[in-house]
Amino acid sequence: MPQGIRNLPLLCALALAMTTMAMAAQKDHYLHIKVDDPAKGESVNVNLPLSIAEKILPTVNRGNLHQGRVTISSENMDGVDLRAILDAIRTAADNEFVTVKQHGQNVRVAKSNGNLVVHVQEAGEEGHNVDITVPMKVVDALFSTAKKDELDVAAAIRALAEAGDTLLVSVQDATQHVRIWVDSRSSQE
Amino acid sequence: MILLGKIALGIASTAVAGASLLCSEGMIQVKVVEKRPEGHHIRVMAPALLLPIGMHFAPKDGIREASAEIQPWLPTIRAALAQLRECDDFAFVEVNEPGRQVRVVKSGGSLVVDVNDEEESVHVSAPIRTLSSAVEELAAAAPATER
Repeated sequence: MPQGIRNLPLLCALALAMTTMAMAAQKDHYLHIKVDDPAKGESVNVNLPLSIAEKILPTVNRGNLHQGRVTISSENMDGVDLRAILDAIRTAADNEFVTVKQHGQNVRVAKSNGNLVVHVQEAGEEGHNVDITVPMKVVDALFSTAKKDELDVAAAIRALAEAGDTLLVSVQDATQHVRIWVDSRSSQE
Repeated sequence: MILLGKIALGIASTAVAGASLLCSEGMIQVKVVEKRPEGHHIRVMAPALLLPIGMHFAPKDGIREASAEIQPWLPTIRAALAQLRECDDFAFVEVNEPGRQVRVVKSGGSLVVDVNDEEESVHVSAPIRTLSSAVEELAAAAPATER
C-alpha cells in the first residue's frame, strides 16, 4: 500500500481535530446581565455577544472613551498608583490583601486561583452582599496600555472571552439580585 | 394561440422574477394589536427591499436632521450591524414586569422587537441587512460637510 494512502486515516483525524479546534475557538462568548426583583415581579435580562462589544468599543469616541480605552483623570486617582498595586498583586501568591471589619460591614480583597476577588458584606435587612471576581488576565489586559492614565477596555473584553465561563459580579440585597457573568451560551436558561 | 401562451409565460416569468427580487432581502413585519374593545389591529408585511428604496427617494429635507444626528454614531452602528449578522440567534434584551413584557431578539437574520402590555401588543421584525441599507441611505442624506 502506498505511503500516502496508509497515512490517509491519520491525516483525516488531524484535519477533523483541527476543524473541531477552530470551531471551538470561534464559538462566541456572551456577557449576561440578570436583574431580578421577585418582590415586584420584575426581571431584566441582557445578553451581549462579546464579539459585538469588542467590535463596537473602538468605534465609540465620546467623553473619556476613545478607541476602546478609558482615560482616568489624575484627580480621580487621588494619588493612588494603580499599576504599582496591580504589579504587587500579580507577583504575590494567593492571599488575602485587605480585610476590613467595621460596624455592619465586612470587606475582603484577595487573590485566589488566578482571580482577583472582592467581597463586601453589609449587615442589616437593607445590606448588600457583593461578590466580584475578575480573572487576573482580564485585569492585566485592562492595564496593558502604555499610558498610565488609561484602561484598555477592548483588550479586557478580548481577555474575558478567552477566560471562559466566569461569574463576574453578584449583588444581593433585600429585594434585588444582580448577576453579571460570561459563558458560551446565547441565553440565560 | 401559441403566441398568446408565450406572452402569458413572459408576463408570468417577469412577475415571478419581480416578486423574487422584491422578497430577496426578506420581509418587514409590523403588527399592532390594541387590546381595548374595538381596538385597531394593524398588520403590515412588506418586502424589506422597499425600505432603503423608499428612503432613497424620500425628500432629503425631511430626513436631513436625523441624518446629521446619526453621523457621529455611524461607525458604531455599522460595526454593530455587521457583527450582529455574523452572530447566532440570541435574545438581546428581555424585560418582564407586571403588565409589560419587552423582548429584543436576533432571529434568523432579522432583528425582532416584541412589546406586550395591558393596552397593546407590538411586533416589529426587520432583516438586519435591510437595516444596514436603510442606515446607509440615512447617512447619505446628510449635507456633504457633515459626512
